[in-house]
Amino acid sequence: MKKVININFQGRVVPIEETAFELLKQYTDSLRVYFANEDGRDEIINDIESRIGELFQERITKGSTCITDDDVNAIINNMGRPKDFADADSDQPQDSHTTQNAQASNEYGQGFNTNKRLYRDANNKFIGGVCSGIAAYFNIEPIIVRLVFIFSGVGFLAYILLWAFVPSSDNVQNGVRKRLYRNPDEKMIAGVCSGIASYFNINVWIPRILFLIPFITFLFRWGHFGPLYFPNFLSFSFSPGALIIYIILWLVIPEAHSTAEKLEMKGEKVDLNSIKNSVVEEMRDVQQRMSKMGKEARDIAQQKSKTMSAEMGYAVKKTGRSFGDIIVFLVKAFGYFIIGCVLLFLIGALLFVAVVSIGFFPLKGYILNDGWQSAYAWGTLLFFIGVPVVGIITFIIRRIAKVKSNNNLMRYTFLALWVLGIFCFVSLIYSVGSDFKSTNTINEQNISLSNPAVKKLEVSTFGSNRFYSRNNFFHMEPFANFFDEDSVHIDNVQIRMIKSLNDSFSVILVKMCNGRNRRFADTLADKMVFNISQVDSVLYVDRGITITRQDKFRNQKVIVTIAVPVGKIINVNKRFRDMRWEHFNGPWNDDNWDWNSDWDRDEVKGWDRHYGEDLIMKADGLYTLDGHRADTDWNNDNNKDWDDDTNQPKSDTTQGYRYEETQKSIDSLKTIQEKQIQKMKDSLKKAKDQIDKKLENLEEKNAAKAAVYQWPGNQTDFIVNI
Amino acid sequence: MNIENTASQMRKGVLEFCILSVIKLGEAYPSDIIDKMKQANLNILEGTLYPLLTRLKNAELLTYRWVESNSGPPRKYFLLTEKGAAFYKELETTWEELANAVETLTGKNGSDINTTSTTNKLNADEKSN
Repeated sequence: MKKVININFQGRVVPIEETAFELLKQYTDSLRVYFANEDGRDEIINDIESRIGELFQERITKGSTCITDDDVNAIINNMGRPKDFADADSDQPQDSHTTQNAQASNEYGQGFNTNKRLYRDANNKFIGGVCSGIAAYFNIEPIIVRLVFIFSGVGFLAYILLWAFVPSSDNVQNGVRKRLYRNPDEKMIAGVCSGIASYFNINVWIPRILFLIPFITFLFRWGHFGPLYFPNFLSFSFSPGALIIYIILWLVIPEAHSTAEKLEMKGEKVDLNSIKNSVVEEMRDVQQRMSKMGKEARDIAQQKSKTMSAEMGYAVKKTGRSFGDIIVFLVKAFGYFIIGCVLLFLIGALLFVAVVSIGFFPLKGYILNDGWQSAYAWGTLLFFIGVPVVGIITFIIRRIAKVKSNNNLMRYTFLALWVLGIFCFVSLIYSVGSDFKSTNTINEQNISLSNPAVKKLEVSTFGSNRFYSRNNFFHMEPFANFFDEDSVHIDNVQIRMIKSLNDSFSVILVKMCNGRNRRFADTLADKMVFNISQVDSVLYVDRGITITRQDKFRNQKVIVTIAVPVGKIINVNKRFRDMRWEHFNGPWNDDNWDWNSDWDRDEVKGWDRHYGEDLIMKADGLYTLDGHRADTDWNNDNNKDWDDDTNQPKSDTTQGYRYEETQKSIDSLKTIQEKQIQKMKDSLKKAKDQIDKKLENLEEKNAAKAAVYQWPGNQTDFIVNI
Repeated sequence: MNIENTASQMRKGVLEFCILSVIKLGEAYPSDIIDKMKQANLNILEGTLYPLLTRLKNAELLTYRWVESNSGPPRKYFLLTEKGAAFYKELETTWEELANAVETLTGKNGSDINTTSTTNKLNADEKSN
């Protein structure tokens, strides 16, 4: 019992057994493969098929109910299988396995179309038959060639290369030689890669990718991106090695023009009655259709560049390696390169977004509301990111496997899903953005300290103050490291310092957050828990703000303002230095915080270099204990009136408060002062000398007078007398 | 070198000539060509005929026209072009020269033929053994 199907075969309706149909199909497919390189392939096959159809018709008119296996086999035997054609029809000399034979046929001058060609001699081979092949080619003893190979330095490498590239005479015996040609049918640029692929009987994408690897590697050197690196990026990407090799191969390898050359290029022994080959053929068919499509575009490009080069005054001849072709090549190479880069970059970017969003996904519960927003997020992940990733991967795999389905339904489904993904993405952004739209009302909250009059206040966090840094290779934590099952901590804590107006410390806490509207934001701010407490001289502050799944992340932040009285010491722990600022700026955020202008007046700014140091508040700002200023722009316009209060001479403070400048000015003042002192000393000395001289003179005169008066008497007597 | 190979090479050489001479007699349908050649004891597979015809057609030696058939779709009938006729003339002279040469060579030395045929037989025997 066999199933009979009706087929439309060359305009005839033929009832045929299913198995017979399979046989027939296999046969026509094998014909298609066999005549693949024939010019009038379709016509030949058409003719044969219509003849078969005629024979079918005959059988049916003779009274058969349907075509059976036997009928098909008889017809096929009559028509002949491709194997039989190969015997009767081959253009190739059947037996030219040694070059001597070829030479002999050359001497007779006709009958065989072979030129003397280099083959590896499979009959006299030692390793790969390279040496014996060369020897046969030059008509010398193989041992000579072998010795040359052994004793020359490059022998080994050359041997391997020749082994790979010189066809074995084995292939020739099989009927068709194998030679390396450029394949014009499947060319992308010049057909080098496709020729190599045909030669080694591998997929054309393998040599292409090998050539592209240097191009691809640069893509992973992300440093090359960016406008500043453009020249660098060019030099690396156009990796000259692969390009030069390609051009050399292009110039060296001949193009396969004729059918015979194309057969040589493939070097297939045609044995075609297997299903495998029919599959291969199917793929080839598809490929040819695609190349036809590409041909039009290519022709246009070639035309354009040819006319261009003609205009430039070069006579472009159709020599195949003309100037025009080189321009075509360069244009094409550049075009493919750019397209490749863009594609790879897109893939990379998409994958990056995918990875990041997957990384974010566990945290989605802390940002998004359940319900629609969650659905949008899933939609975005699956359709907006997932679909293109899957699509591109399938495209690449298809391209490599040379499978192409014209399944429009699938294509449109993909497109529709992606559009849905875009919709989800936009909705997600909009809906999340509107959740961040409003800000809460600012409420200053005075924290009562248990011991505000302490001399030194240390600001620290609950728990350990050590900071452990984790140096992961791939670090992707959207929020701070604290992360457990149902709460997340964010670091949005800011410490501000102002000068206290009285002589005790005080702390003001401000909570801020966003929300859908002000009311929501206010309730969320009320819910925020942030603990501050003082124990002895230490002010303990929460390390972060806790966010639960119920109260979502809405840019919560806390500003702790510490008022430091003059003459007292403050020390903010180093852990606050490593705070990260988690913030989401939705597209429709209006960041309208009600800043209290009083705060800014006395704020100490720029002390952030001094975490973990003892700082002392002086009348004109914060100082380190060794007397350097710890703040930067204390003396801005806001503090003018304050300056007046402290009777600080303006010239002094405006003279620059950075350490070096102050020191310099002090130094210069010192030297000036010293000089002045020296001068004064000098002048005093002079005056002293003069006085001394005068005194001496006076004494001399007195002595002279005395001598005049008491000349006759004894000097001692005189003194006694006085 | 094997005998079948050489034989098929020889056959192949004259095949085109034979086909052209059949078509020269008048428009021909491929299966008719096959039949005529079979009658002349020159067996050829239909599958090899079609590609040959197409090649000759592409070389503009042959052309064809569609002839309505009473059973099924129209058939292709091949006929010689002017170029084909000239080509045939040339082939004919070549063939005559060749045939003459072979005849004189083979006819002149009959003993040689015998020896070659016996060696062939011997070869065949060896193979079968």
